[in-house]
Amino acid sequence: MAFLSVRDLVVAYGAIQAVRGVSFDVEQGEIVSLIGSNGAGKTTTLRTVSGLLRPVSGEILLNGEPIQKLPAHQILSKGVAHSPEGRRLFARMSVEENLRLGAYTRKDEAGVLKDMQRVYDLFPVLGERRGNKAGLFSGGEQQMLAIGRALMSSPKLLMLDEPSMGLSPIMTQKIFDTVKELRDAGTTVLLVEQNALSALALSDKAYVIDLGRTTLSGTGRELLADPRVQEAYLGEGAST
Amino acid sequence: MLSTFLSQIANGLVLGSLIALIALGYTMVYGIITLINFAHGEIFMVGAYGGLATLTYLMPTFIAQRWYFALPVVLVGGALISVLVAVAMERFAYRPLRNAPRLAPLITALGVSVALQEAVRVFYPGATAAIPFPNLFIEGTWIIPIGDGVPIRYTGILLIVVSLVLAFGLERFIERTRMGRAMRATSQDRDVARLMGVDPDRIIVLTFAIGGALAGVAGVLYGSYLNNINIDMGFQNGIFAFTAAVLGGIGNIRGAVIGGLVIGLVKALGGQYLPGGTAYDYVWIFVVLIIVLVFRPQGFFGETERVRA
Amino acid sequence: MTAVTEAPPASTPETAPPRHTGRLAGLLGALAPRARLLGIVGGVVAILGSQLPWATFVLNQGAYPELATLPFGFTGFRLHLVILGLATIVVAAVRVPAANRIVRNLGIGIVAVAVINGLYITVEGGGLGAITAADGAVAFGSVVALIGGVLAILGSAAGGVEPRPELDWNLPLWVEWLLLVVIFVLMLLVVAAALTSGGQGGVVNPYSGAVFLSFLGAAGGAFAGLNASGLLGYVATLSERHRVFSVIVLLIVALGLPLTSAGTEYWMTVASNIGVYAATAIGLNIVVGLAGLLDLGYVAFLGIGAFVAANLSGATASAVGIHLPFVLVMVISAVVAGIFGAIVGSPTLRVRGDYLAIVTLAFGEIFVRSAQNNIGGLTGGANAIPNIPAVAVGDFRFNESITIGSVQLPSGVMYYVLIVLLVAGVMLVFGNLKNSRLGRAWIAIREDEDAASAMGIRTGPIKILAFLLGATLAGLAGAFFAHKTGVVAYDSFRFLESVTLLSAVILGGMGTIPGAVLGASILFVLPEKLREFSDYRLLIFGLALVLIMRFRPQGIVADKHRRAELAEEPEDAAKEAPGPLPTRVEP
Repeated sequence: MAFLSVRDLVVAYGAIQAVRGVSFDVEQGEIVSLIGSNGAGKTTTLRTVSGLLRPVSGEILLNGEPIQKLPAHQILSKGVAHSPEGRRLFARMSVEENLRLGAYTRKDEAGVLKDMQRVYDLFPVLGERRGNKAGLFSGGEQQMLAIGRALMSSPKLLMLDEPSMGLSPIMTQKIFDTVKELRDAGTTVLLVEQNALSALALSDKAYVIDLGRTTLSGTGRELLADPRVQEAYLGEGAST
Repeated sequence: MLSTFLSQIANGLVLGSLIALIALGYTMVYGIITLINFAHGEIFMVGAYGGLATLTYLMPTFIAQRWYFALPVVLVGGALISVLVAVAMERFAYRPLRNAPRLAPLITALGVSVALQEAVRVFYPGATAAIPFPNLFIEGTWIIPIGDGVPIRYTGILLIVVSLVLAFGLERFIERTRMGRAMRATSQDRDVARLMGVDPDRIIVLTFAIGGALAGVAGVLYGSYLNNINIDMGFQNGIFAFTAAVLGGIGNIRGAVIGGLVIGLVKALGGQYLPGGTAYDYVWIFVVLIIVLVFRPQGFFGETERVRA
Repeated sequence: MTAVTEAPPASTPETAPPRHTGRLAGLLGALAPRARLLGIVGGVVAILGSQLPWATFVLNQGAYPELATLPFGFTGFRLHLVILGLATIVVAAVRVPAANRIVRNLGIGIVAVAVINGLYITVEGGGLGAITAADGAVAFGSVVALIGGVLAILGSAAGGVEPRPELDWNLPLWVEWLLLVVIFVLMLLVVAAALTSGGQGGVVNPYSGAVFLSFLGAAGGAFAGLNASGLLGYVATLSERHRVFSVIVLLIVALGLPLTSAGTEYWMTVASNIGVYAATAIGLNIVVGLAGLLDLGYVAFLGIGAFVAANLSGATASAVGIHLPFVLVMVISAVVAGIFGAIVGSPTLRVRGDYLAIVTLAFGEIFVRSAQNNIGGLTGGANAIPNIPAVAVGDFRFNESITIGSVQLPSGVMYYVLIVLLVAGVMLVFGNLKNSRLGRAWIAIREDEDAASAMGIRTGPIKILAFLLGATLAGLAGAFFAHKTGVVAYDSFRFLESVTLLSAVILGGMGTIPGAVLGASILFVLPEKLREFSDYRLLIFGLALVLIMRFRPQGIVADKHRRAELAEEPEDAAKEAPGPLPTRVEP
């Protein structure tokens, strides 16, 4: 049984169906990416998994337990953390307060402090400027903080939505290296990316979402080699 | 001359502290759900009646006769009633409209305001006219020995002290505690707060409850200071408090307090020195309100430009 | 995993949703084959209920209407029930299009009549004994009628409620015209009957409130039934097709009200007041309904118009002391109010949304305070400006009654005629504005001000123009108001009046032409008819505002073109827009 299993997910905004049949599995300890063009329904899928949206139909199973009807805060406490598209930090709060909010549901103060130190070790720049307001940071630093904030709930599954958006190639590489480190340390990662090339190179498994449906799946390597993927997504992806 | 001026300052500070206490509720609710909760003034009014009801119907004479017993009990009673009404209002009137277009909750707030006022008028015995409210604190007036002496009633001093203490406590709560942080997070980005595990519904209820408690305390202290209450007290002071909240930069605790004090001083000094006298003191507050909204809508302490569409 | 796998074409479930969901699903499913029968039985039971006694004893204040303690009767609410019941039977038996929908609405009407009368008798009689059995008497009328109504509703639900049919017949022109005339005359008669139900206003009838509510319930059910059949939609299409004709007929019909049973001095006065507020509400509808600018101090413009008119009327208390002809006074009042409208509207250049609402509220309060303090000696302060002379043409004064031939019309009828013409004119102005370039610009601003501005609409002047025009209409109404009531006091222009006006616009349907008139009529007729509940009037008003916003924010007449302000948005749609934080430039 897969760790996270999404079955025939359908999500609509009013009359418009943004997701109309997405299915995928995430095994423990994997990096799984969802790739696809803008508006394909990737972000909507993540928002539904984390409980921000309610699906019209379909199932989301976490360790076999359906979670699609739970509110977001309960899904978080089951170990699913979601770092949203565009980072969306609390700009008027300090680094430390942002991290504290990431650990909002946790009661073990010692563990929280330990994890905070871990984030500072992972991203030293955050530790150096822990008292500064998040809004004053650069895009790359904000992305680090966004990942750090998501890690503070000590999740079993980390969902990252477009972590490379707006970042320089060097910064993108740094973020993806971190993702790999996290996976190696035991965190399962579900990645949504438009930057298909980097994402596929990194992923154990990947799914292509097109017009709200999962159309292709395979290992990252296989999809990289697949002519359909190359034609549709890597033409642009390869040049960046 | 000087003592007239100073005693008007004293009056202004008393009224200002009262307005500040109400303004805190406005500013918090607006900060969280960007709703001008028109009915907040009525929560203040309901608190005064709730306090009076506690005193009249629930309290043994033995306690009622000693202010140091009666005052805390009445304050708690008034605050409790206000909290109940505020939370119920959020639950049944505003929450169903959480995703509705912006005019709907504003008009609902008007409806709640009218309904609350009328509910008290119809159901509270004798509320069709002003009701006397006892002094719940030390009787008498302290003459501050400056110039010819500046009189200020002890109940007024109580109002100033309680307001400042509560505002200070509230600021600490919001800045330092986990719940306070969750409140700030919810006001900045509700969806992401949900992703952090914050249940926005609980935070919003908490916000209404805190605002309600402060308004309830304000209602009781108002009654104790002016020694009578009426059902119109909420609307007028509510508008003043809203003005104060905007003046101080909406969403800003410290700003609301300073805004409240400024409004109190404008009313007291405007009534004394501006043309038209006390008959026009209300008008000056509204003039201030218009000027602030038009020329500095982010208030004096607002961090960011908030032009709401 | 060995190779790239292609997902099977996603199978979006395309099957129709189950016919019955929710708690009653099983029951409704079982009843489905007998839906028709249930409707018929419901109608029969309702008629049966109407003929049983309704009260076990005579109430303290006299026999309840229609001799409720006795069986049999074909008057009042019993007659309404019989009619509704018969209609239910016929519709259910004949299977007209959308029969279930019609039956459901008729059933709701039956339930309303049963509940209103039963509840009233219970409350007045002091317990359930009053409508069941007490002192050896039995009176199950209300219970039986209620069961009939519920059966009809159940039957319609089991049969499945159809969508409302769109009817359109092409009839010869004269038939269509005749049809429109007949329908409008019928409407007039229903309105007159509603107004006078439970006795003329002011005449002592302890039960008039209950009688009126019962009538409303019955009429509402019948009306909803007609609507469900698509007939009302057809009439709307018809009147749209013959727009000018309809407007003229409607105007003539409205002028015919004094000839009906409601043609008394009392109702002429009420109708004139409604007219004043309707005209003002239409002005407000320009500001709120079309341009989307919330104004919470709007009644001030009515007040300004009224005070200007009072000062120019030759009233002894007026500070100006000149007496101008009424027509000129109206123009001046409108102009002055319009100027103030532009002043109040000018902050819209900088302030938007709820902050603007507060600015307008502040202006309104400043007006009331100033008027209360008799500013410049112009408003009379607490003494008001009394004894404003009536409008006169030659020797004839508008507050006198007139006799034409053998028909004597009630006094105040000329004021009624005047206000009907005024409201008609204002409606005409509103309708033309709405469909003009200017109206489209307002609507664009309402929907999205930034986009409107980007499209080249000069939003600033156009927003101020909305305030100016709206205030002008209110000023006109104010001039009429001053002369009609004879007294102008600051007390008539308080915040609550602004809220009432706003409610009239919202209740009727924002941005629609009949909406404001309908809303104003309801908000001013109801308190007149429900005087026995007058203590609760404002309480109910406040709660009603809350409920309307919750359940029908678009009002009674929904604007077809309207999207934003108050229509329900798709769930969660607003949440999806990601608001990325302002990030700084990459290093």
